[in-house]
Amino acid sequence: MQRFILNRRQMLGGLAAGAGLSLLGPMGRASAAVSEIVWATWDSNGHPEYVTAFEKATGTKVKLSFLSSEDAQFAALKTGAASDWDVVNPSLNQARRYIKAGELMPLDLAKVPNLAHMYDVFKATEKVKGEDGQTYAIPYLWGLNPIVYRSDIHTEEPTYSTLFDPKFKGQLAMRDYALESIAIAALHIGIPRERAFLLTSDELAEVKKALIAQKPLLRTYWQTIGDLTNLIATGEVTAAFSWRVPYDALKDKMKVAMAKPKAGIMGWCDCFAIPASLPEEKVETAYKFADYLLGADYASTIAEIGNYATTSSIIRDKLTPEKQEAIFVDDLSVMQNFMWPEAPENYSEWLKVWNEVKAA
Amino acid sequence: MTFRQRHLALPVAVAIVAGCLAPLAVLVAFSFYEVEDFDLIPAFSFRAWGELATSGTDWFLIGKAVLSGLTTTVFTTILGYPVALALTRLAASAKGLAIIVLLTPLYTGEIVRIYAWRIVLGGEGLVNTVLQGIGLIDEPLKFLLFSPFTIGLVLTYNNLPFMVLAIWVSAEMVDRRLIEAARDLGARPIDAFSRVVFPLTTPGLAAGSLTVFALSAGELLTPSLLGGTSGATAMALVDNLFGTAFDWPLASALALALLATLFLVASAMAGLLLRLKGARAVIGRT
Repeated sequence: MQRFILNRRQMLGGLAAGAGLSLLGPMGRASAAVSEIVWATWDSNGHPEYVTAFEKATGTKVKLSFLSSEDAQFAALKTGAASDWDVVNPSLNQARRYIKAGELMPLDLAKVPNLAHMYDVFKATEKVKGEDGQTYAIPYLWGLNPIVYRSDIHTEEPTYSTLFDPKFKGQLAMRDYALESIAIAALHIGIPRERAFLLTSDELAEVKKALIAQKPLLRTYWQTIGDLTNLIATGEVTAAFSWRVPYDALKDKMKVAMAKPKAGIMGWCDCFAIPASLPEEKVETAYKFADYLLGADYASTIAEIGNYATTSSIIRDKLTPEKQEAIFVDDLSVMQNFMWPEAPENYSEWLKVWNEVKAA
Repeated sequence: MTFRQRHLALPVAVAIVAGCLAPLAVLVAFSFYEVEDFDLIPAFSFRAWGELATSGTDWFLIGKAVLSGLTTTVFTTILGYPVALALTRLAASAKGLAIIVLLTPLYTGEIVRIYAWRIVLGGEGLVNTVLQGIGLIDEPLKFLLFSPFTIGLVLTYNNLPFMVLAIWVSAEMVDRRLIEAARDLGARPIDAFSRVVFPLTTPGLAAGSLTVFALSAGELLTPSLLGGTSGATAMALVDNLFGTAFDWPLASALALALLATLFLVASAMAGLLLRLKGARAVIGRT
């Protein structure tokens, strides 16, 4: 908390200094030019061609620094190893962790005009707010985590319970990730989706039983999405809780499909955020970049190349129905069935259960 | 050893102390810290150690690491001896080539090898296709991939070169005349091996065993990507605790407990192997 106050003070000081400098005319402006910002993000969110429009418009180069995992990003911010990052990429479900740790700068939303086009479900989220009521992160990219399955083998669209069905023994896979795997088991044993991330110790014990019973049915736990794509491509796995990547990679080569279980669709959402330690002279550019991420150029290129939707409705109506379907914005009611994985209060208990399941 | 020669080892010794003991000291300190809101708070708390002491999972995984290290050592020893002894019989010019061939798999990198194993051992993989093709099996053998068998096979394969090299260097130093004398005196080849070659190569075996044990007990990628649902390791748990759980005290305590256990087992192995008659003869010679 102390760190946050310090940063605000620094920021106010910086603003005052900036105002003073601007009185000096051209000299002041020259010192404010930012030649480059470093964006820490996933490789799928930050292809070089996704940011060329921003670079042309502002003259600021965007250097991409790809993340290996959310935890590594958090650890790098926490330990100060990320001092060259100017814009970071916390996920919506973990944003609070960064905010609590004092790693992010409070945002002035007035500097991001494109927020006006954001879908309500993202506008309304409280997960990007600190206890002080200020906003610290802006959701910009989202998607669904479907079950990807071989449609020649699974003639009925799978549900989460398919992943626990002995009929498909040895062909199933779950992600090696406590948060989603435990929530899926909770849905499978009948816990409603509103409570899937709020399990009591007794419920966790029931979930653990289900997950241990599931183990012999699984071919493996997948580690990375490339790993799972390989497993589906080689016929080892015919249905898995997944990301959309294997579907896109394999749809022209084999019969694969995506299922969006009615019990609750696991959504993911990435956020824009500024590290608390960002030097004052770069803050304005960072805001411009936030506005770019919610603008039309980024939305069009990432929809076209990556099949991802931004949180902004800015280009939705201009897309073909096929493209709308591909990026899940054809039927906006899907947003009512979202489940946002979120780290529960008793997360350490969840992790313990998950580690016990894996070692069982 | 002269005084000056001994001093040459000093920089390395200092580097080892600084590069190994210093981080260990940090781990010891962290293991007594507390975590609050993703902040490490210096404290003198036994919470992590208490949790570790009562956790069946943690000790099960530490035991699994020891077992994995020991079985890999045994398998590489059994397979390594014939290869190492065959190497000593090659002409000098062929030896260099043979060593390069032996090390070839190591040039490819672990991830490439892991995915190659999947192609070889998978349900629609090379081995199953051939076995089905020649009519030996009707259904693919699922246990070939994603099972404890796979972990054992791949760890043995990955570590075999280290064992072979260590035994080979030792075996090259064995005086051929001793083997000939044993044979002349009526020893069968197996006796000449067990009473002359094996004892005199135990220093190499010790070096190989300790290397293979350390490498395989601490392996993380192979079990997690090829071991299927039986791929949980203590190393992965440490990684999980440092990263996802942000429980640095417990991660530190577990890492230290794992290290101490592996160190004890390795010391016992070294003690046993070097106490053998042959080892004493070789080491005492220098």
